[in-house]
Amino acid sequence: MSQLFGILYRIRHFFMFLFLQIACFYLISKNSVYWDVTFFNSTNSAVAKSLRISQNVREFMNLGKVNDQLALENKKLREELTKSNELTALKEVGYKPDSNMAERFDFLVAKVISSTENLTDNYITIDKGTKHGIKPGMGVICPQGVVGQVMSCNEDFSRVSSILHSNFQVSSEILSKKLRKEEVTALGIGKWGGTNPSIMQLTTVDRFKPVSKGDSVVTSIQNSIFPPKIMIGRISKISASPSEAFYDINVRLSTDFSSLVYVYVVNNKLIEKQNQVEAKPVN
Amino acid sequence: MNTQTLFKVIGTVLLYLFLQVFIVRNLVFFEVAFCFVYISVILFLPSNTPVSAVLLIAFLAGLSVDLFYNTAGMHASASLLLAFLRSYIIKVLFPTKGLDTELVISLDGMGMERFIRYIVILTFIHHVYLFFLEAGSFNYFLNTSLKVVASVMFTSVVTFLLHVYFKSLQNT
Repeated sequence: MSQLFGILYRIRHFFMFLFLQIACFYLISKNSVYWDVTFFNSTNSAVAKSLRISQNVREFMNLGKVNDQLALENKKLREELTKSNELTALKEVGYKPDSNMAERFDFLVAKVISSTENLTDNYITIDKGTKHGIKPGMGVICPQGVVGQVMSCNEDFSRVSSILHSNFQVSSEILSKKLRKEEVTALGIGKWGGTNPSIMQLTTVDRFKPVSKGDSVVTSIQNSIFPPKIMIGRISKISASPSEAFYDINVRLSTDFSSLVYVYVVNNKLIEKQNQVEAKPVN
Repeated sequence: MNTQTLFKVIGTVLLYLFLQVFIVRNLVFFEVAFCFVYISVILFLPSNTPVSAVLLIAFLAGLSVDLFYNTAGMHASASLLLAFLRSYIIKVLFPTKGLDTELVISLDGMGMERFIRYIVILTFIHHVYLFFLEAGSFNYFLNTSLKVVASVMFTSVVTFLLHVYFKSLQNT
């Protein structure tokens, strides 16, 4: 018996190692399964506060770039405004836009306080939380394009899983003159391949649609978290093997995740009603 | 371990964590080379530190890095492995010294070649474990291996230089 205790005593360090290692793996598994871990991520407010200090320094260095972005965005908004004014003038198609539906999205400006872009699953922390009306599941966009989806929040901060996340998918549509002329839409599913933070893969696009390199890829209309026609990127490579029905498309993302400062959280006011209808079983 | 060394260790841990979180976290070369300089905390603990203390320090340091990297448990797990293997690697690498209590882990105490070998081997173990754990699978094997190799080089150089720098600060 004393010999047994002797052996146990000699490998006590190994037991301690094992015990702490099990604790680590418990944390790892918990972090990847549940979407609202409160302590071990940067939504934790002490951590978020210190991250904000470090981000403030970076922000100061990027001020020039931010001004450019804002100017660019103002320009784009102006363009959008004129476009929508023109659009309301022509109603020949017969589709009457319901005002409730047309105004279903509203936006909330938030500031990025920490972000990663080189891991397998990348996250962004923003400085708005439930207090400001943010709920998990909302979409996040920025002046240049799509950013991601809110994953967890506390009162003051939220954590966003960016499109550079192994589980993130976005329903997208290809826009080009040719497609518009032939009156077809090319829909596909965008998913990040996990290697290059500026390239995303687009799958399930029909091989017989006239799609070419350089066409822009935007969020599709069949999308409940993002407003339609938000830029995702441009097609950088396109290939199709003769035996397959779909193209292999690489999309160069328009969002530069390393210099994100301001983002817009998208709130779809009708999403609950839409989900209600879609959740009803078909008889 | 007396109080003075205890304070010294705590100071070193805080210093390296500060460096890691506020400065080195923002340095990523070509999207593949990362620097995890906080492992110096574990590498340069005095060799007569009890293994249980090394394990605890590694766990806490790793956990605090995890908080800032949004990777609950991964850094803690990797640095635990490092802390556990450290004593064995010291025994294997420097058998001529006999009892490991005699060994001083520093550039002066080990000599250039053995010191660099020590840093690179331990960094390599830590990074291989960390990156494959982070990738979660062997799917992106080449990409992950590239990250490992580039990061081992980056971290080793930074660790070495910082160690030399802090030692020279102490001496003056």
